[in-house]
Amino acid sequence: MADTYKEYLAARVINDGRPVTYRLLSRAIKVNVNIAKQMLYEFHSNQNAKKPKSVHATYLITGRKGDFKHTNGTNGRDGEDTLMQSSPPYMSSIPSSMPEPEEPSEIVVPKTSIVLVREEELEKTKAEFDEVTSIHIYSLESGPIENLNILSVCNHEIATEHANEDPLEQWRTLGSIHNPYIKRRVAKYSPPLPATASKAAPKPAPKPSVTTQPKGNDVAGLVRRGSASEDNTSGRSTPQPTVGASNTLKKSDSKVPLKRNVSDIFKSFAKAKPKAKEAEKSKETTPAPPEDDQMEGMSEDEGDRNDTPEVKFDDEKAAAARKAREDREETLRKMMEADDDDDMPDAPLTEENDSQDAPLDKASTSKPAESDHVIVQGGRRRGRRRVMKKVTGKNEDGYIVTKEEAAWESFSEAEPEPKKHKPAPVKPVSTAKGKKTGKPGQGNIASFFKKS
Amino acid sequence: MVSLTGNMLRGAPFEDPAYLPSRAPSAYNPLHTFDLSRGTEKLYSQQYADMYFLRLSQLRKAVIERAKDAWGDFALGEERARMVDRVLDVRQGELCWVVGTVYMEMGLKPNILDDISKEHWIAAPPPRETYASGQDEMMLEDESGRLRVTGDALNAHYVTGCVLAALGTEQADGTFQVIATQYADLPRQPQRWERDDSELVVAKKPKPKRERAGKIAIVSGLEITGKVDDELALDLLLEYLTGELGGAPDQSKTTKISRLVIAGDSLSHSSPILSREDFAIKKSGKKGYGYDASAYNSSPTERLDFLLSQILPTLPITLLPGASDPANVALPQQPLHPALFPQSRQYANPPVKSNESLEGLDSVTNPWEGDIEGWRVLGTGGQTVADLLKYVDEVETLEVMEMMLRWRCIAPTAPDTLWCYPFQDEDPLVVQDCPHIYFAGNQAKFGSRIIQGPADQQVLLIAVPKFSLTKTIVLVDLETMTVELVDIGIAQAAA
Repeated sequence: MADTYKEYLAARVINDGRPVTYRLLSRAIKVNVNIAKQMLYEFHSNQNAKKPKSVHATYLITGRKGDFKHTNGTNGRDGEDTLMQSSPPYMSSIPSSMPEPEEPSEIVVPKTSIVLVREEELEKTKAEFDEVTSIHIYSLESGPIENLNILSVCNHEIATEHANEDPLEQWRTLGSIHNPYIKRRVAKYSPPLPATASKAAPKPAPKPSVTTQPKGNDVAGLVRRGSASEDNTSGRSTPQPTVGASNTLKKSDSKVPLKRNVSDIFKSFAKAKPKAKEAEKSKETTPAPPEDDQMEGMSEDEGDRNDTPEVKFDDEKAAAARKAREDREETLRKMMEADDDDDMPDAPLTEENDSQDAPLDKASTSKPAESDHVIVQGGRRRGRRRVMKKVTGKNEDGYIVTKEEAAWESFSEAEPEPKKHKPAPVKPVSTAKGKKTGKPGQGNIASFFKKS
Repeated sequence: MVSLTGNMLRGAPFEDPAYLPSRAPSAYNPLHTFDLSRGTEKLYSQQYADMYFLRLSQLRKAVIERAKDAWGDFALGEERARMVDRVLDVRQGELCWVVGTVYMEMGLKPNILDDISKEHWIAAPPPRETYASGQDEMMLEDESGRLRVTGDALNAHYVTGCVLAALGTEQADGTFQVIATQYADLPRQPQRWERDDSELVVAKKPKPKRERAGKIAIVSGLEITGKVDDELALDLLLEYLTGELGGAPDQSKTTKISRLVIAGDSLSHSSPILSREDFAIKKSGKKGYGYDASAYNSSPTERLDFLLSQILPTLPITLLPGASDPANVALPQQPLHPALFPQSRQYANPPVKSNESLEGLDSVTNPWEGDIEGWRVLGTGGQTVADLLKYVDEVETLEVMEMMLRWRCIAPTAPDTLWCYPFQDEDPLVVQDCPHIYFAGNQAKFGSRIIQGPADQQVLLIAVPKFSLTKTIVLVDLETMTVELVDIGIAQAAA
């Protein structure tokens, strides 16, 4: 960090003429915010010593303003002396309807002022303060700025460019206040962090309290109900150790009951399985996940998303596979439909929650490769499934045609009853369905003829 | 002048930053007093009359007790005051007292018939600052009927919906001349940690050793518009709360803040029911059906989400909706939906799992009640106070808040002039437990006061100013119950 800050500041402030705040600097070169403040000062004084007025600064003053009249001088910060509940015991006098005949005790309130000021007004503003508890450079610019509001672009930049760090770990490098109690749920499709995994995490465990959080927390606490796209779009990530993911992959494999079969067949269409295994292996050798956000939707066929180009799988392969195995698909679809019907009754209760997530799913819909697996967490099944959707559009001749197309749809529903129950309901439904569709036609006609 | 450690105006060699203690823990135990039942159990077909009946029946006993204490042996000349059960049983010339609900007949109070006729006016009158018109009448009603009341003792300090006992005589013209009034006054106040301790006893766990409590920070009225103008103040607020701003002495003070409470109006112009002005603007725009992506501006919500998600890694937040937030408009407003916060909701428990998040983002109702550091805290987004202020002249926010607690009803003017859910079986707006801290958000200016009740209850009242106007954060020390202010200023260039 020795001189990188000088290069960064010179490039940004002097060459590009863009403002930089201590906060942005600290994130750009990964130093504590308090050091960043000092770096700004160092740079500011050096540059202006070389060439006056070459760099302009804004200052931030914290302290107590002069207009504040405190009863007890300077030790008012603790506030102890301001506690005055001296209003006499409550008296109810008959003629007065208002409760406080005497003046109620207004509390004298200490006030801390935080003022952002340009260097031109620094001295003047400082004079307004009775006591300055801290002062530092807030930002540097290439020249005097008229409107301080432009400094907010720096925080925008932090939001866009430095967002992919784990927010719960930033305190270590950047020096914001650490709160050991805060937990953050992980992405929707990522399995819960097993305790072993958190030990294997690339970053050292910060504090015992932190590492124990995931353990003590029950599984559902880590489940993120939100859509995976949040993480994908925002680029934010949680350190998601691959090892852990593959562990839980096995776990969830064993856990998830029959319904999984449907999606497994789809997976075989994708021919992604061997690759997935390769990917797993290669990842296991490199414990540090290169791009965390890529890992969010991991489960059985994790990895294949990274290896096979998603689009190809999505459109061409899936389509080809579909055409090639039309018959099988047909039977499959029936099964799917049966599944769907079967699922409906327990859906409505929770549908509310999930439907609100749906609009946010944009990003994940473009990555269907991660889709055909189901995660069971906290009594809810989540995942994506293929459904046939009717798409209406104009063809070349200008006619409106309705086509049936396979589309992916995310779903989340109450976990089905234990394994054994599953096969039973599925089949009866599908057969019942077949009967129904068969019977009305045949039976009706037969009976019609019989009657006649 | 500048304390040594706080002066960061020094360059190389860079010292290692001072050790910053971790954030103080927040003992937090929310109540769900104001949660409405969901789905089909939430009915709007009931009559509001039930609410007044409920309120009267819930408060009658307490009011009668208070009145008996005060007027039990009150006599005027030879005549002793006598309690009358129903307002219509009052007899002319007889000294008596009666309990009823106040109803104010006010000239400028909104009237549905006026609203309808307004549709035919060329220009609608401006929105009302006050309902008082000069020839207002006060009445006392119960299930039997109404009694017109007059008297100096009233002093125009009562509003529709509060329950009180009035002592007086009926005049020749049928009005009830009031000499004095009594109200329920503060209810029982729980001990500190009472609820937490009783939960522990039920769970058969030993009482934990409790550390010295930290502070809570309360802001309200962020009124994020998504425009550039308010960005910088929000940035400074964020940096202050995360402890990045300032020097070591100020930063370590910030670590004492253990929770942020946002008391309503985080977004501006986001209420599902548009104000008259917003409606006019929208009406003049192009007409169309369905969702219009060009008309919807998502930047305020995104900005709020970003702000919260930046604060949350270091500070838990309790978020109340307010009048201008995208929640339901009728009190009690239900929690802001997590779908509004795609990023920050990762710090909240999923709604399917739990309806509260002890650490992280807790999106709660308005009004809201809960235990923070063992103290009972009651807070609102401020609509109740604002509406009550329209009934009365020359009364301050803090007085209004005090009276609400003493009347034991935090929204007396609902359902008369304030939208409200038609409660059927119980009215949660009636205060059951006296809070230790009662705050109202979105007030014009800051104020705080300690009031005391007949049984040594002490309540800290806080009027939280709008952040968008005053740039002020209110800090409450939960050990000493002292209040501090933090004021964020941006010195613009002298013109």
